[in-house]
Amino acid sequence: MKFFGKRLFRPHSIWIRKLVQWFFFLLIAFIAVNHTLVESGAGIPFLSSASLHALCPFGGVVTIYQFATVGTFVQKIHESSFVLMIIGFALAFLFGPVFCGWVCPLGTVQEWMAKLGKKLFKRRYNHFVPARLDQVLRYARYLVLAWVVYVTATSGTLIFADYDPYYALFNFWTSEVAVGGLIILGATLVLSLFVERPWCKYACPYGAVLGLTNLFRIFKIKRAASTCKADGACSILCPMNIPVDTQNAVRDHQCISCLECTSEAVCPVAKTVIFTAGAVK
Amino acid sequence: MTLNSKSLAVILFVVLFGGIALSAALGWWQTESSKVAATYTEGEFAGQANPADIRGSYTFGDVEKNFGIPAALLAQAFNIQTDDPDAFATKELETIYAESTLEVGTASVRLFVAFYNGLPFDLSTEIYLPQSAADILHTRTLTPEQLAYLDAHIVPDPAAPAVDSAPITESTPEAEATERLVKGKTTFQEVLDWGVPQSVIEQILGAPMPNPLTTVKDFCTAQGLSFETVKAQLQAEVDKVK
Repeated sequence: MKFFGKRLFRPHSIWIRKLVQWFFFLLIAFIAVNHTLVESGAGIPFLSSASLHALCPFGGVVTIYQFATVGTFVQKIHESSFVLMIIGFALAFLFGPVFCGWVCPLGTVQEWMAKLGKKLFKRRYNHFVPARLDQVLRYARYLVLAWVVYVTATSGTLIFADYDPYYALFNFWTSEVAVGGLIILGATLVLSLFVERPWCKYACPYGAVLGLTNLFRIFKIKRAASTCKADGACSILCPMNIPVDTQNAVRDHQCISCLECTSEAVCPVAKTVIFTAGAVK
Repeated sequence: MTLNSKSLAVILFVVLFGGIALSAALGWWQTESSKVAATYTEGEFAGQANPADIRGSYTFGDVEKNFGIPAALLAQAFNIQTDDPDAFATKELETIYAESTLEVGTASVRLFVAFYNGLPFDLSTEIYLPQSAADILHTRTLTPEQLAYLDAHIVPDPAAPAVDSAPITESTPEAEATERLVKGKTTFQEVLDWGVPQSVIEQILGAPMPNPLTTVKDFCTAQGLSFETVKAQLQAEVDKVK
């Protein structure tokens, strides 16, 4: 895609995904600012001033237990979180964690930091963590998920908000954000200079939930072994370090459905790595 | 069936915003608590909004919508100087009257509304009103019991606190953690976490404690208990173990 003759995005990338990411980043940022403005008596007309909690699908996940046992939502969580949770699950059942790869503004910011990291470290970027350690750490986000669900269920309060880098990202100018959230946000941004999407890979509890749908989603990333040149481009460019070139269908729990590995992007052979609900030859 | 990135982007927008639009049409899309007060369930005033359900998150504008008392009059009653009384959150009264030795807060607004509209209200706990509110209520028709209560529960007006615009309506998590105040949204789990034994809570409730994630206020409303009374007793227990 070009703008005044200048290329806006890296060649062989899914440019429309970048636009979608920008859209959701700006939308959430404006809503977060508007929330602050409304509390101080101002506000932008025609724009939602909902709190971030109300627009977070993970809020729906953590309130399931309380909703099932008491019939109420966790403090600061509203019906909208439940609606977004259902929409998120519906999308994930069909396409995998597209929310992570296309919508989540924290993922977007990590990708922006990754651009800088790639310039600094070239081919070493995203390959700093030893493979065996990386494999183990990938499951840490399930521990985070278990902890968040447990403390929310037993306390009835959003304790995770004090550590949530997403909440800190869009509230750093308010007194509502906790120091823990700012520290984790800072650490995530710094680590993004070395590892692509470190929060998503190792700690995101919502990514952990959505990641499970990679095991049974309808549309999958599939590789046609008959036409594959086995040049490894798909694996090298995968932000989540998934060895796409060794799999016929990607069922890795970390896939974020970004489509950057497909023939539409980095794969040089047409119709070889595709996003499909059918079979490939 | 194979999808490319453009198709996926379109589907993503359609499902996401279509889902939101559908839920909004069905009345499910709520991004904030409904500010509709619970009603009396029995007696002469059954069906009318109950001032005991006014919450700290209610603005004077919300109180006006529920009880018909103009927000400007509420601001006058509580001596609040603001250009936008509709946006003033009742919970901010505690901050504004922080210098007062006697607490003026959301409970004071409940009391004022009940007396102003001639609605029944539990007077077994100590709730205070500023002189300016009492002056307005003296112009209303009050029972002798209400008059006696009112005259015994007046605090001097503060020095006309000015509020340029609507204040921040949510206290910080740190402040809430250290305050240990029993409020409308306090759950039984929080009271337990603050060190009050379940047996003591049940003694105050006069009934088995519900699921700990239930808020004290919701339980009181459902059981027909006075939240103000239960709140005061629980707060006393919390203060004991501080």
